[in-house]
Amino acid sequence: MNKYIIAFVLCCCITSCIKDEAQNNECDIESAWIEGAEFEKNFYQVTDMRKDNISSTETNISFLVRPLFLVPLSTQIPMHFKITPGATIEPANGSPQDFTKGPIIYTVTSEDGQWKRFYNVSIQESPLPMQKFSFENVETHEVGARNQMHIFYEMAPASEGGSETAQPKYCWASGNAGAAILKTDSKPEDLPTYQSPDGYVGNCACLNTQSTGAFGELFKKPIAAGNLFLGEFVIEHVTGDALRATQFGVPNPMEPVRITGWYKYKPGEQFTDKDMKVHTDRKDEGSIYAVYYRNQDAEGNKYMLDGHAVEYLDKLMDNPQVYKVARVASLPPTDTWTRWEMIFEGKDAPNDIVQAQGFNLALVFSSSKDGAQFEGAIGSTLYIDEVEVSYEK
Amino acid sequence: MKNIIKVLTIWVLTFGMVGIAKAGILEEMQLRARVGYSIGGTAPIPLPETIRSIDSYALTPSFMAGVDAQLPLNQRWGISVGLHFENKAMDGDVTTKAYYMEVIKGDSKLTGLFTGHVNQKVTQWMFTVPVQATLQLGQKLSLRGGPYFSLLTSKEFSGIASDGYLRENNPTGAKILMGNKEGEWATYDFNDDMRTFQFGIGVGADWQVHKRIGLSADLNWGLTGIFPSDFKTVEQTLYPIYGTIGVFYRLK
Repeated sequence: MNKYIIAFVLCCCITSCIKDEAQNNECDIESAWIEGAEFEKNFYQVTDMRKDNISSTETNISFLVRPLFLVPLSTQIPMHFKITPGATIEPANGSPQDFTKGPIIYTVTSEDGQWKRFYNVSIQESPLPMQKFSFENVETHEVGARNQMHIFYEMAPASEGGSETAQPKYCWASGNAGAAILKTDSKPEDLPTYQSPDGYVGNCACLNTQSTGAFGELFKKPIAAGNLFLGEFVIEHVTGDALRATQFGVPNPMEPVRITGWYKYKPGEQFTDKDMKVHTDRKDEGSIYAVYYRNQDAEGNKYMLDGHAVEYLDKLMDNPQVYKVARVASLPPTDTWTRWEMIFEGKDAPNDIVQAQGFNLALVFSSSKDGAQFEGAIGSTLYIDEVEVSYEK
Repeated sequence: MKNIIKVLTIWVLTFGMVGIAKAGILEEMQLRARVGYSIGGTAPIPLPETIRSIDSYALTPSFMAGVDAQLPLNQRWGISVGLHFENKAMDGDVTTKAYYMEVIKGDSKLTGLFTGHVNQKVTQWMFTVPVQATLQLGQKLSLRGGPYFSLLTSKEFSGIASDGYLRENNPTGAKILMGNKEGEWATYDFNDDMRTFQFGIGVGADWQVHKRIGLSADLNWGLTGIFPSDFKTVEQTLYPIYGTIGVFYRLK
């Protein structure tokens, strides 16, 4: 009996100490959308009017519209947001704004007033088909505990996107932000994906497979393959369902025929699996492949190809969203720049949907073919440069 | 707090010396063997606002066994010194909101604000020396109070952060989801960072039910955190606060 009295008294002491809930200190835009039938004419697809599940590391939100000379954009477009409960947004949520002059900076302030995040929200003309990637442009971002990481971007020519000047186009993503979680004070070269000055022409992209340290072993993700892909990296999933973190593909309004480029590859010495068990019979291989797929599913929802979808490349064509696949059959180790080529195979995409930005191009480079399963060899290094997408049959 | 401890220590020592000065006092010494079971927690006091609820509390093997020597100084007052071996353990689940935490594994670490579920396990096996003044109230009941000093022989402070997310570094940092199974949640342990020496204040009562057998109840309130003050990884100072229910047997 006494025991229960004591337990009861203690519980009362402790639970009565639970303080009132503090105000929220987060300040994220979780979703952004444009609504109203009068704006639908600007968009190729109604699904293009919404951006949901915006990643916590995202600061650019852009909506793609039809060419402005065909369908002029209203100067009074109400932009709607779902933000962290209690947070406030400036300019006001749903207030009509003029997006024809370029991106508008929205500031989200947390409920407790202590924290702010800034977002560039833009409405842009849909991009022209991808042509060439030389990996000459990077921005250095700070992530996590003072880690510097490279983010590759392309310069869209003036006139593309409705802009009068050349604009950076952030179409490349990598798993760097995930690998950086496990690091402190790292330089761009310490992360799996970075720009190297030793390119075939100028700079190039260098991808290398790394150990994620004891912490990565804890999450059963002991290695991080260097990867670079057209698409988005959603960091939220990195400790859990990591294959969802890689969202491959960006809209491309022309059906690609072949992709060519240059590479150098050196496999790491010891091939290990996700339990860090050494497999002496296996040798690491680099991987280059591309997928052309429908970015809307049968129910009319936005579709993105993620790490789960590409888990078995041989079975990619079984996916009803996928129209064409191109793979580089093998990347033999070489320390001199070597040309590679891959040709798209599969079924033809309907031209009207292609032109209406209804198809995405996913182009993926990885220093370890099975890096998504956390299998590979630490130290495997893939250099990539001068990639060209060709549309001529 | 420190002043209270000083006053109490001086008070007890004074009584002690007065007691020992009295000739033949050892003849009157009583020896009590005790066993008990403790229930309580190792928690920040007061709880920070980042802890939103206590969801479960599992009983742990928090046993205590020991011997006290009690010297009566006069009819009412006495002094008691003991040596106990005990475990102050805890296994509890709490829900947090933006709770500052750091997970360290080898040379990697992850710091941030965690919103979700935390399962916290604490084990502290220790030798404790309570030095207490005793007050006899009637034939059967006596009250005790005074400081205690503990030396830890085995220590564990570990936990799991799951079913939620961590904002890296600050509320605007990357949001990292923690799942509900191994490999998707984060575990931490700071066993090696714990203090080996603790002290605090204890109060208790002995109730003699039979000639030699009695029941006891104690409350021990830690005045030192379980981590040294220069250990910043666990932001709040955690104090061990435990109640003990026991039986004693008068050996002498």
